[in-house]
Amino acid sequence: MEEQLKIDFEKLLETSNFSKKNVEIKRKNFENFIEKGFPNRREENWKFSDLNQIISKNIKNLSFYNDLSKPNKIDQSIFIDGLEHNKLVFVNGRIEKIEFDYEEKNKIEILDDLVLEKSNNANNSLLFLNNAFVNKYFKLIVKKNYSLKKPLVIYNITNKDLISKSINLKVNISLEENSSLKLIEFFNDRSITNFININYNFDIQKNSILKNYKIDNNSNSNIKYSFSNINQDSNSVSEIFLLSSGSEFIKNEINCNLNGKYASAFVNGVFILDETKHHEIKTNINHLAENTKSYQLIKGVLEDTSKAVYQGKIFVDSKAQKTDGYQLSKAILLNDNTEFNAKPELEIYADDVKCSHGSASGSLNEDSIFYLMSRGLNYQEAKKLLINGFLLDVVEKITDSEIKNLIKNIMSLKQ
Amino acid sequence: MLKIKNLKADIENKSILNNFNLEIKPGEVHAIMGPNGSGKSTLSNILSGKKGYDVSGEILFENKNIFELETEERAHKGIFLAFQYPLEIPGVNTNIFLKTSLNAIRKARGEKELDAIEFLKLVKLKAKELKFDEEKLNRQLNVGFSGGEKKKNEILQMSILNPKLSILDETDSGLDIDALKIVADGVNSLRKKDNSFLIITHYQRLLDYIKPDYVHVLMSGKIIKSGGPELALELEKKGYENFN
Amino acid sequence: MREKQIDKLKDYKYGFTTDIENIRAPKGLNKEVIEFISKAKKEPKWMLDWRMKAFERLKNLKEPNWQKPKYPKIDYQDIYYYSAPKSASEKPKSIDELDPKLLETYKKLGIPLQEQQRLNGIAVDAVFDSVSVATTFKDKLNEVGVIFCSISEAIQKHPGLVKKYLGSVIPLTDHYFATLNSAVFTDGSFVYIPSGVKCPMELSTYFRINASQTGQFERTLIIADKGSYVSYLEGCTAPMRDENQLHAANVELVALDNAEIKYSTVQNWYPGDENGKGGIYNFVTKRGLCKGTNSKISWTQVETGSAITWKYPSCILQGDNSIGEFYSIAITNNHQKADTGTKMIHLGKNTKSKIISKGISAGFSDMTYRGLVDISSKAKNSRNYTQCDSLLMGNKCGAHTVPYIKNKNPESNIAHEATTSKISEEQLHYCQQRGLNPEEAVGLIVNGFCKEVLQQLPMEFAVEAQKLVGISLEGSVG
Ligand SMILES: Nc1ncnc2c1ncn2[C@@H]1O[C@H](COP(=O)(O)OP(=O)(O)OP(=O)(O)O)[C@@H](O)[C@H]1O
Ligand SMILES: [Mg+2]
Repeated sequence: MEEQLKIDFEKLLETSNFSKKNVEIKRKNFENFIEKGFPNRREENWKFSDLNQIISKNIKNLSFYNDLSKPNKIDQSIFIDGLEHNKLVFVNGRIEKIEFDYEEKNKIEILDDLVLEKSNNANNSLLFLNNAFVNKYFKLIVKKNYSLKKPLVIYNITNKDLISKSINLKVNISLEENSSLKLIEFFNDRSITNFININYNFDIQKNSILKNYKIDNNSNSNIKYSFSNINQDSNSVSEIFLLSSGSEFIKNEINCNLNGKYASAFVNGVFILDETKHHEIKTNINHLAENTKSYQLIKGVLEDTSKAVYQGKIFVDSKAQKTDGYQLSKAILLNDNTEFNAKPELEIYADDVKCSHGSASGSLNEDSIFYLMSRGLNYQEAKKLLINGFLLDVVEKITDSEIKNLIKNIMSLKQ
Repeated sequence: MLKIKNLKADIENKSILNNFNLEIKPGEVHAIMGPNGSGKSTLSNILSGKKGYDVSGEILFENKNIFELETEERAHKGIFLAFQYPLEIPGVNTNIFLKTSLNAIRKARGEKELDAIEFLKLVKLKAKELKFDEEKLNRQLNVGFSGGEKKKNEILQMSILNPKLSILDETDSGLDIDALKIVADGVNSLRKKDNSFLIITHYQRLLDYIKPDYVHVLMSGKIIKSGGPELALELEKKGYENFN
Repeated sequence: MREKQIDKLKDYKYGFTTDIENIRAPKGLNKEVIEFISKAKKEPKWMLDWRMKAFERLKNLKEPNWQKPKYPKIDYQDIYYYSAPKSASEKPKSIDELDPKLLETYKKLGIPLQEQQRLNGIAVDAVFDSVSVATTFKDKLNEVGVIFCSISEAIQKHPGLVKKYLGSVIPLTDHYFATLNSAVFTDGSFVYIPSGVKCPMELSTYFRINASQTGQFERTLIIADKGSYVSYLEGCTAPMRDENQLHAANVELVALDNAEIKYSTVQNWYPGDENGKGGIYNFVTKRGLCKGTNSKISWTQVETGSAITWKYPSCILQGDNSIGEFYSIAITNNHQKADTGTKMIHLGKNTKSKIISKGISAGFSDMTYRGLVDISSKAKNSRNYTQCDSLLMGNKCGAHTVPYIKNKNPESNIAHEATTSKISEEQLHYCQQRGLNPEEAVGLIVNGFCKEVLQQLPMEFAVEAQKLVGISLEGSVG
């Protein structure tokens, strides 16, 4: 693999025209990745999901170079129907469309000729990989006092031309004071066994609101890692919803720093898994200022031999008095070989705080099934009703009603 | 017994009590009535020494300024507050709590502490007087008590601790008719020539059972009118709105 | 010097030293020292071989470093591994022959050993530095067939039982400190409860570290045969010294069919002074095996002492229908650090476990609850309930909750709850209004917070533990 990496990396530098500064940064990141490699079980963060093993088990001859010179066709049929929206479309890792038809042009800025920033997650080898191999990376700036009229959907499409590749994407989004953005990230994969590595950086300034819905719903054999780093200034709000269902493996990692007073973060997610799927959600919510609030609710329904992992950490700095932190994870195991692992963690250095977490896993409640059956439902209907109710509880947390309905539709299509 | 002069209290720069004056002599029963948010609980909290208020003025208890005294020192001197919202303290057995308090106060007064047997005897007696279900005293303090039971528990504590000045903050709210009578009896039995009461209430009804010597009307942080028991009746008829 | 220290820290009333002549092994960790220990204990060859095997394995093991409290590197060659009062080198036949200085020491600790003054209904094994100096009520226990003696005595008198069970729960090579203990363990208690016997009294071991620069490596083995019951309690104290002393114990419990073991600990090793100087490193491996069906092991611990506490009393629920319980109160103040919790490994069907953990941190201290609940795919219809609550006093201390929860069985349920809070101003005010001073009020509320755990302790010790909870937090209110 190391040989392949070196060849592919040189090829990337040869065929692209990165600035000198960027080449330097990329080399450094590349070396760091070579040194650390793909994370494995020995790292606490990857204790329940050994990525190194998962990649070698699922992907034969992984290669890191992508030819991005030729445009890809966009299959329009996969665009979300019945929801007016702006678009950013990636196909096989190449940007194919940027469309902000609904917005005032001078309120949005998109930059793509950027110098890579030094990431402060010094230990994350996948960020090294990302920085080394990302081709163009984008920065979207929403100007002061502007709220996007329509949601932005980032389509992440892969088609059958893509096989056993490592794709690296990076998007930075900055919400200036008093602005707001609804962002839907929508995966559609027709490709086979690729490793897709995505890095988002959000900078949410005073009084701004980010709503981020990440939807991975189509069954596919790709392995994915998505890392979102969120910085929040005072009075800002982030709302994240994850539908984790389609990929063979996906780990969604969210690091959220509540830097300003009264900043709040909501992370909600559902796992709906079957076959051999293995998904993880890992969160780090860092309360670094007074009166900050976080709320997390994660639920999973597991079938066949699937496995879900939730690692959620609430950190409260000694400065962050009056923090309110809540975290709950629940899973229903439907088959003998399913597995749910949780590590809900609290690390607290301030005394005037309210923090709690809970985790529960097990079978469907037989009493409830019995109750429903006594009202005339058969076992399957009762089970389905209960599972729907169980998951709906999370979906109901979505504050945008249009998107909530969209997601409800997507989920019931699947059931 | 209690002399409050020019009391002013702010919380977070909001003025709650202003130019508040009141004198209670030994043996007297005073009632304070006033609309929601007028500052009644604030007054009782300040008398009991709760922190978090900016206070100025003077509070003399038995001719000594008590501003500098901690809450428990005031309790030792005989000030008792029956809270409007009695707290739940999980894991703490009610009996043990009561015994600890009583002995802390007795000790501070230089009296002999009661042993378990003497204490239980006392509690049994008082519980019986107040028709308080003794079994509840073995539960955690106020945890799972109904609203009325919590209030009765406050009065039970009062009668066991035997204070000189008892402040009852809306103890009557949430009590059924029988309980109201029992509470009133409890108060009346403690009524002696050197025990005083400050009764905060919204209802004239309680004052039928506990005849006050004086009634005060508190509005926007100060007493706007004082009088005898008839004032309560007048208030009941007119309401606060038309009272001014 | 010592006088002054004691003055400053009068709350640690066990901080005195006993001036007594010692026999010590030469300093350091090597083959000769292990031979010395084995010889001093007149051990058979198989025991020495066992120790040597552990010593060999130790060379390939590294000290773990995943725990939260970090400590300065321990120089394992700078420790005395064996220290015994000279007078105890020939273990006296009866307690009356015991060195009066030892008797006096235990009396001062509240554990009188002499016949007339013994605690009622509790048999005590007293371990002083590296040796057991006395065991009370032996005869009475003998009558019902209960064996309660020092592990050294058991190795000589009951080799069959020791050979069969020693290392059966904590394998020789489990991890660094467990292996170190297997190589150099000195003394500890041995308990065997025969089939069908309900042990007529509480059994208890009192551990005392006295000598300086000495590590204590005790080893305890408790076997409850079919249908038996035993309640066992250990207590620990040490003098106040400027140096850090290592205590690395191994405790193994085995419960056969229908047997129940209740193991309680009140740990009050010297915690160091208020600046974090001195104190015991308490690195302990405790593990219970519910080997038989319907067996039950219940751990209760009150951890208030030690500079660093690092232990996870665990249950391996191997027998069907077996039950594991863990009740813990851990209190850290000043610069103390604790990383403690439990592991519940569900292997058998219908196994149940319950974890109640209450952590309180004050001063500059740091507390971690770390726990594992693992329900294997074979453990059908198993249950776990975990509740861990933390209380912080001040914002110079930390509370950390790290549960690992693994469920591989669809017919099993795990429920975990955790909260972190502080004592509310309202609660304090309420108690103070009733005449309690702030320290009393805090003591009362904290005891309420810990109640579920305190209730698990045998009566005689619950009172002691309750006081300890109050004392440990002294000076933390303000
Ligand atoms: N901690 C606080 N912070 C801010 N405002 C407060 C606080 N405590 C009380 N207040 C305000 O002070 C005012 C007086 O409150 P208080 O509780 O004394 O009223 P009250 O007369 O007892 O009312 P009620 O009849 O409803 O019991 C109210 O406006 C209340 O909102
Ligand atoms: Mg009030």
